[in-house]
Amino acid sequence: MLLVNKGQFTDWLNQLIQVYQVYAPVKEDDYFCFKKINSGDQVTLNYTNSKVPPKEVLFPRSEKLFCYRYENGGVQLTEQIDESKKIIVGLRPCDAKSFLLLDGVFNSDKYHDPYYLTRRNNTVLVGLGCNQPAATCFCTSLGGGPFATEGLDLLLVDIGDRYVVEVLTDRGRELLSGLELPAADQEAQEAARRVKEGAALSTQVNLEGLKSKLDVIFYDPIWDLIHEKCLGCAACTYTCPTCHCFDIVDEAEGNEGCRIRNWDACMFPLFTLHGSGHNPRPTGKERFRQRVMHKFKYFVDNFNAIACVGCGRCIINCPVNLDIREVLAEIQGSEVRSDKQ
Amino acid sequence: MKNPYLPLPMRLVKNFVETEDKLIHTFTLEFLNEEDEKLFQYLPGQFAEVSVFGVGEAPFGIASSPTEPGHLKFSVAKVGVVTTTLHQLPEGTVLGVRGPLGNNYPIEEFKGKNLVVIGGGFAFTTLRSLITYILHPDHRGDYGELTVIYGARNPGLLLYKDELAEWEKRPDINLVCTIDRPVEGWNGRVGFVPTVTKEVAPSAENAYAVICGPPVMIKFTMPVLEELGFAPEQIIMSLENRMKCGIGMCGRCNVGNKYVCKDGPIFTRAQLNQLPNEY
Amino acid sequence: MNELTRAIQETAQKLLQNKEVELVVGFAEGSLPLRNTPCFVRQPEEAQRLVWGYGCENNLANYLRKRPEKVAVVAKGCDSRSIVELIKENQIDRDKLVVIGVPCRGTIDRKKVTRLLAGKELLKAEVRDGQVVLIGKEFGETVPLEQLLYDTCLNCQHPNPVLFDIMMGEPVPVKETECFADVANFETKTPAEKRAYLMQELSRCIRCYACRQACPMCFCEECFVDCSMPQWLSKSSLNVQDNVFFQAVRALHLAGRCVDCGACDRACPMGIDLRTLTRKMVKDVQELFGYTAGVSLDLKPPLAAPINTTSPATFNQDGR
Repeated sequence: MLLVNKGQFTDWLNQLIQVYQVYAPVKEDDYFCFKKINSGDQVTLNYTNSKVPPKEVLFPRSEKLFCYRYENGGVQLTEQIDESKKIIVGLRPCDAKSFLLLDGVFNSDKYHDPYYLTRRNNTVLVGLGCNQPAATCFCTSLGGGPFATEGLDLLLVDIGDRYVVEVLTDRGRELLSGLELPAADQEAQEAARRVKEGAALSTQVNLEGLKSKLDVIFYDPIWDLIHEKCLGCAACTYTCPTCHCFDIVDEAEGNEGCRIRNWDACMFPLFTLHGSGHNPRPTGKERFRQRVMHKFKYFVDNFNAIACVGCGRCIINCPVNLDIREVLAEIQGSEVRSDKQ
Repeated sequence: MKNPYLPLPMRLVKNFVETEDKLIHTFTLEFLNEEDEKLFQYLPGQFAEVSVFGVGEAPFGIASSPTEPGHLKFSVAKVGVVTTTLHQLPEGTVLGVRGPLGNNYPIEEFKGKNLVVIGGGFAFTTLRSLITYILHPDHRGDYGELTVIYGARNPGLLLYKDELAEWEKRPDINLVCTIDRPVEGWNGRVGFVPTVTKEVAPSAENAYAVICGPPVMIKFTMPVLEELGFAPEQIIMSLENRMKCGIGMCGRCNVGNKYVCKDGPIFTRAQLNQLPNEY
Repeated sequence: MNELTRAIQETAQKLLQNKEVELVVGFAEGSLPLRNTPCFVRQPEEAQRLVWGYGCENNLANYLRKRPEKVAVVAKGCDSRSIVELIKENQIDRDKLVVIGVPCRGTIDRKKVTRLLAGKELLKAEVRDGQVVLIGKEFGETVPLEQLLYDTCLNCQHPNPVLFDIMMGEPVPVKETECFADVANFETKTPAEKRAYLMQELSRCIRCYACRQACPMCFCEECFVDCSMPQWLSKSSLNVQDNVFFQAVRALHLAGRCVDCGACDRACPMGIDLRTLTRKMVKDVQELFGYTAGVSLDLKPPLAAPINTTSPATFNQDGR
């Protein structure tokens, strides 16, 4: 464990900016988002949770896959892989965990997504522990915690005027190499311990037995009503750190253009609409069920992990206050019926 | 790292109006680079994403067979923006193709077995690939009897009419074509695929049934196959959910925990029985 | 329990008991402070879940289109105005709808609370005698209600339902003049400044379409942004102009239909100012056509095209 004072930390960010693209929480309107910074002063680290998760650094809202150009009777393709070195500073442990989940999707046994994976391999993650988790946070129910280190290279613990730095990987150590930070003394370690103890979560979600319930609940009438107030927008999915669905479109100008991928959402009817007009998920019921099933059953089947880190963003951002904690509680409380169509 | 999103350039060498209603065209594409063709090793049942640069890409089952080297064939219905553009393209246009994607018909398991291939409408594309593969002199001996039941609303809507005529003449394939209603000049069968399947009554013993067609055809043919003794494990189907990436990442084609693009599109009836009905 | 809550529960229970309706759409307690949440009640005994409070911010008219069953809805002024327009647009069958009117004293803007608390987390809140008590970890603050209400509510001219079958409680006083000061401010900008403002705001758009989905009047089978033949605008967010285009067309499509309920603005997770455009439209429609959306069932929407039902050829070959 090392120690860095906050002034020194800002200087350090300014140094890093010379070599890396540094992304950090920046205040925008009334919330925080991870932005590429030009100066350490832009960063605000006493934030609760960013509006849009830092997944957008590795998996942007819109990104070019390749550009094409028709010429000499053929077509020229240019890959658009972002190979820049990046650092994400100040991300929360829950968001760091989400990258481990996304890794499974984009690095499957059969296919590797070079856009995500190249960024992922070139990005160092400097986490920030949560001294004051929000009332909507439930990371501990999902095996995480306000000071969980999983997926991080460094973890900062805010002890007032200084950060205690936990070095978690060689990559993290390398990042600090020029700094010659002192080891955290007894007093700082004690302060960090107190901060961690004080960071209790007020929300727990009971996930015990949920998976086996979802295994047999697909045709249950519970889905008829549970989605009823859902508007079918993508506020939950686009602000979810583990949601990764996307669309691929072309944009052309004359004889050249680009293929672009954009975030997409299972909540939209068009998402699954066949060319024939048939839609396997025709109403809000099927789409909402898909979202819950994908996170809490299908992802578990395929990757042995729940695709939720308990960040609470979907709770905060839902325009109708459809709260995933209540949805799960309702499913847990329902009687299991035989799963027949 | 191999980039699974980058299409291989191919030239459209033939844009053929396949059906009388002109809604289905068959496209023949040739690889621009020889080495790409060597990389593109596919088997019947697999699909590919075809790109019209600037418009987009769409997934189509590969209608040609690996026994027909030098080109790929796709039969495409005009339904959306990519397919409509494709239909209008002049021969010679350079397109992109990504693939092969998905799994293939279990041709290894089929060996030594009788095959009943049932198709309806324009969902005959990968079935053509399968039949062509099996009929190839190198493979025909590996398989038992081959029965093909293929139906369309009217004769003009049957795909691959020249080939059907050739198959008619062959002794090693029992081809039964049927149309929904009698038409002058049609000497073949008349009736819906489920009824005709019942009449033809292929034996389920030591056999697999491969079925592809519109949902209503599948729905009514299933009980017929069951009656004939085909167990769910003996019935092979190909699904067609909306797809984008084709590699199990974009999230839209899943049926339960399986992705049609990566884990399918070929499933046995038994496998589908374990999955929700979202297809 | 407040009087309105009690009245709503009793009314809903009676309607369900007497089988006058199959469903009551209202609000329940939400899971967050100062938040109520839409609630669907089908059994008389469940009517006790219904409440009325300052977090009843959603426009429930959004849940009423093309419903097969007989429904009762708890409607404040703006909800009732959307209902009026939706009836005119044949989206709601008046005969199958019972409107439980609620005079509205406004709803609380949680963004204003966030701004006020400057990073401190709100854990609990209470509204008493025109004051809001905000409680968090190690703090408690009392703020005048007026200071926390949505701008929409502060400008609202129709807090009392314009259409109702049963009215809960007494009407609330109505403000004298409509205040379009915010729009006037926007109007004084030069075209370049307007453009810059909209570009700035919509640079944050993530295309989640919460605005569209929250709007009771946005019910096109296929929204023009989703259309692929022809594709009117880019689906990517690489180009902010397309985000502006999306909102501009949305606002235009709502001209003469938008009741300025503010649902789009509230739904936006990114806090984008969407109301400037829609309110500008409301003001223009008032000035140009003397029309205020949703105040009368009898007034014809000014921009409803005269549709000749016998001949679909409304346009001649030149497209005129």
